[in-house]
Formats: sequence, C-alpha cells, structure tokens
Amino acid sequence: MKKNLQKFYSIFRISFQQEFAYKLSFFLWRFRNVMQIFLVFFLWSAIFSNPSTEFFGYDRDKILTYVFGILIIKALVLSARAVDVASEVASGDLNNSLVKPINIFKYWFARDISSKALNIIFAIGETIILFIILRPPLFLQTNPFYLLAFILSIGIALLLFFFILFITSAVPFWMPEAAWGSQFLFIVVVVEFLSGSIFPLDIFPAALQKILYLLPFPYLIFFPLQTYLGSLSILSVLKGLGIGIFWCGALYLSMKKVWDKGLKAYQAYGR
Amino acid sequence: MKKITTRLKFYLKIWWMMSKNAFLIWLSQGKLLAFFLLGKIVRFVIFIGFLIYLLKTTNGLVGYTPNQVIFFFLTFNLVDIVSQFLFRYVYSFRQLVVSGDFDLVLTKPFSPLFRSLMGGADLIDLITIPPLIGLLYYYSTLLNPSASSVLLYLFLLVCSFIISAALHIITLSLGIITLEVDHTIMIFRDFLSLGRLPVGIYKQPLQVLITYLVPIGIMITFPVRGFIGSLPVYLVLISVIFAAGLLFGSLKFWQYALKRYSSASS
Repeated sequence: MKKNLQKFYSIFRISFQQEFAYKLSFFLWRFRNVMQIFLVFFLWSAIFSNPSTEFFGYDRDKILTYVFGILIIKALVLSARAVDVASEVASGDLNNSLVKPINIFKYWFARDISSKALNIIFAIGETIILFIILRPPLFLQTNPFYLLAFILSIGIALLLFFFILFITSAVPFWMPEAAWGSQFLFIVVVVEFLSGSIFPLDIFPAALQKILYLLPFPYLIFFPLQTYLGSLSILSVLKGLGIGIFWCGALYLSMKKVWDKGLKAYQAYGR
Repeated sequence: MKKITTRLKFYLKIWWMMSKNAFLIWLSQGKLLAFFLLGKIVRFVIFIGFLIYLLKTTNGLVGYTPNQVIFFFLTFNLVDIVSQFLFRYVYSFRQLVVSGDFDLVLTKPFSPLFRSLMGGADLIDLITIPPLIGLLYYYSTLLNPSASSVLLYLFLLVCSFIISAALHIITLSLGIITLEVDHTIMIFRDFLSLGRLPVGIYKQPLQVLITYLVPIGIMITFPVRGFIGSLPVYLVLISVIFAAGLLFGSLKFWQYALKRYSSASS
C-alpha cells in the first residue's frame, strides 16, 4: 500500500515539474482561461446592470458569483493531462504506458491531480486579481450542509470528467485519425456547453432542463455551482449527488468495457 | 499594370494549388472532417440559440435591439471564419520553424510570407461560410439598411480582414522570434471572441483597449455600427488608417523577424 502510494506520489511530483518545463505555454493557457471569463462576466454584467433586476431566478450577485465560480471549478474539474491520451493512442505512444508496471487509469489520474493542483493555485490567484479589478458583488455560502455537498459534488465532477475523457480518448482505437476531432466535439463543444461553463443551464425551459439533468454533463460544473449558491433544496442536492454517483458508476463500467475492447483492437499505428 | 496582373495571377494559381492540396488532405480524412464540422455547427447553433433565447427575455443589450445583437454575433462569426479559412496555415507554422523546414520555404521563388500565411485554406470553414452568409443576409433584411449602409459595411469588413491579416503576420513573426505560435494565435482568437457582442458591454478601460489596442471594436463593432447607421465619419477614417498602419507595421515586423531566423534543426 505504502509502496503504491509512493509510486503515485512520484508520478504526481514529476508531472507537476513537467508543467513548469513549458512555463510560457502554461502562462498563456491560464491567460486564455481568464480571457474566456471576460465575455461571460460582462455579458451578464450588462444584462444585470440594474442591481434590482432579476432574470431566470438570478440576481446580480448570484450570476456574477456563478461566473467567478466557473473560473475556479473549471480549473479543478476540466484541467486534465489525460487530454493527451487520445493522441497517444493515435500515435502509438500508448505502448510506453502499456509496458509500465502501473495501471494506466491510475497513472493518468495521478497526472490529472497534479495538473489540477497547479491550475487551482493559479485560478485562485487570478480570481483574486480579477476580483480587485472588476469588484463584483459576490455571494458567500455559509451553510455547512451546502458547503459539504459542494465539496462532495466537486469530487464527483473530477471522477466524471476523467471517465468521460477516457471514453472519448478510446475513439482513436478504431479511428486513429479522429483523435483531436473527437476531443473537439465531445470535450470542447459538448462538455463546455452542457456542463454550464458558458451559461447556467436553469435559464432554459423546464422541459429541456429535465432532459439535461439526466445527462452526466451538468454534474461537472453547473450542479457544484448551484450547490454552492444554495439555489437547490436539500432534497434536490441529495438527488443530484445520487445521479452524479450513478453516472460515476455507469461511466466507470463503460470506460473499462470500451478500453478492454479498444486495447484488443489497438494496433500501435505509427510505431 | 500588366506586370501586376501577371503577378496576381501567379499568386492566385499558387494559392489554388496549395488550397487544393489542403482540401484533398481533409477529404482523405472523412471521419475527422465530420467530427470537426459537426462540432463547429453544434457550437454555433447552441450559442446563437442561447443568444436568441436570452435576448427574447431581456429585449436587447446595451441599447441595441435583439436583431442588431444577433447581427453583431453573425458578423463576428464571418470575420472569424473567413480569417481561419484564409490564414489556417498559420496554425502549423511553428512546426516549420522548429524543424528548420522553413528553409525550404525560403528557397522557393515566391514570397515566404505568402506561403506561411496562406499556405492552405481550410475546407471546414469553406463549408460553413455560405450558410453563415445566408443567415447574415436574413438578419440584415430585418434591419432595413440603406444601400450606402450596406456598402459601408462591406468596406469596413475589408478593413477588418486587412487587420486580421496583419495580426496573423505579427503572430508569424513572433513565431520566428519566440517559437511560440499556437497560444499566440489562440489568444488572438480569444480576444476576437470578445467581439461576439457589442463592445459597449465592456467597462472602461477594457472597452478602449479592445477597440483600439486589440482592435476587436474596429474589426467587428465598427462595421455593424456602419450598417445600422450609428458610426460617425471620423471612426470610418480611423478604421482605414488603423488597417493601413497595422498592415505596414506587420510587414516591417515580418522583415525584422526573418533576419532573426536561425534555421536551427535543419
């Protein structure tokens, strides 16, 4: 057990150092994240220019907290080194991982955690700077139930994104040329919109929301943020956590199955 | 004059050859093409759907009517997509420099800038341009423009494309000096995406910054304001002077960067 932990700590440490090897790239990547917040922040800020305005059940404080929350939660949930897995499958570099005496999922999860640790440190710094510049009115949650549920929902979100990423990364087993294409469609487009990282999902008509909440994507960004904001009843929070856990189980099994099949189809093209 | 025409024909022929090759590469990867095309369409449809739904509730944004805001969004898409269509090759420029293969471009009997900037048009963007123009036409008719407004809009769009070309040239030049292209171009696109909506939504000093320093306002807000008849003449002049000045400056910067190309790795 101790040996196992040491192994993953080493991966974590090396991966953390690797992020610093390309300082400019990392800096520019974080800069882009901040840029993306600007459009969303000012769009909502313009809509809620009158502080007493209320749209879709949101007031100015809550919507701007939501926007700032996106920056932090995206850094935690959506930053992952496992985005490289698809290209490793496509290029045949996956061989290197397969011959190592380590479980490939655990290896990449350890790398993801190191990436998230670094990103969250920067995201907190950026949030403080943006807070000083933009001076938005923020909503602070003090209810212990919601805070605890928020932490739990973040844990679920981390696992969900990891499983979604690995399932998407399996596409190149059968279509090596589609490595980046599948990531673009599922991770960049579908996850970005359906997770609520551009706009809150509860602004949509009730019928559409009901369908969306049955999918795993809202439990990546939208649900944790709603939990933090205390916008949901205790029962709804528990129900949401239940659905999130269900999706974790379902996606974990799907990932294992898809990868088992994928590895049998894998021909190490390019190697 | 005849010499210029011959030269133009020569470059047009090269562009067509390079674009044809780029299209053939895309067509040989049908599944990849399908993923990207679907992704782009889904992203566009969701965002415009969200915007229409939002504007129906708020009944406009910073003094613009819902149809005008949609027109801003469509104009942003036109500038963005046409720029990507024409200048897609910039995205693969880093590899040329890092590997030293840029040497081969330099030895060819035509402009290395032309090759680096327009070395292969993007088929996906070409496919999405006609429906986008159709949507622009539909929303433009809802705004009842005069003939002069339409002409002014088209003229200012030409300025936008010149500015876009200049910014891509600056990116290439920075690529030679710093070996960093990918993030620079993406940051440019992130800035450009701030123009999806009228720059009036941004607070000062960000508004001035993205109007003139990172000229998103000139590239997107000015043409639309010209179209709806709310652009003063002096801003049209600023747009022209800015486009010409930036193009001139970017060409000078390219010459400067070329002298610093080390041909490492070749």
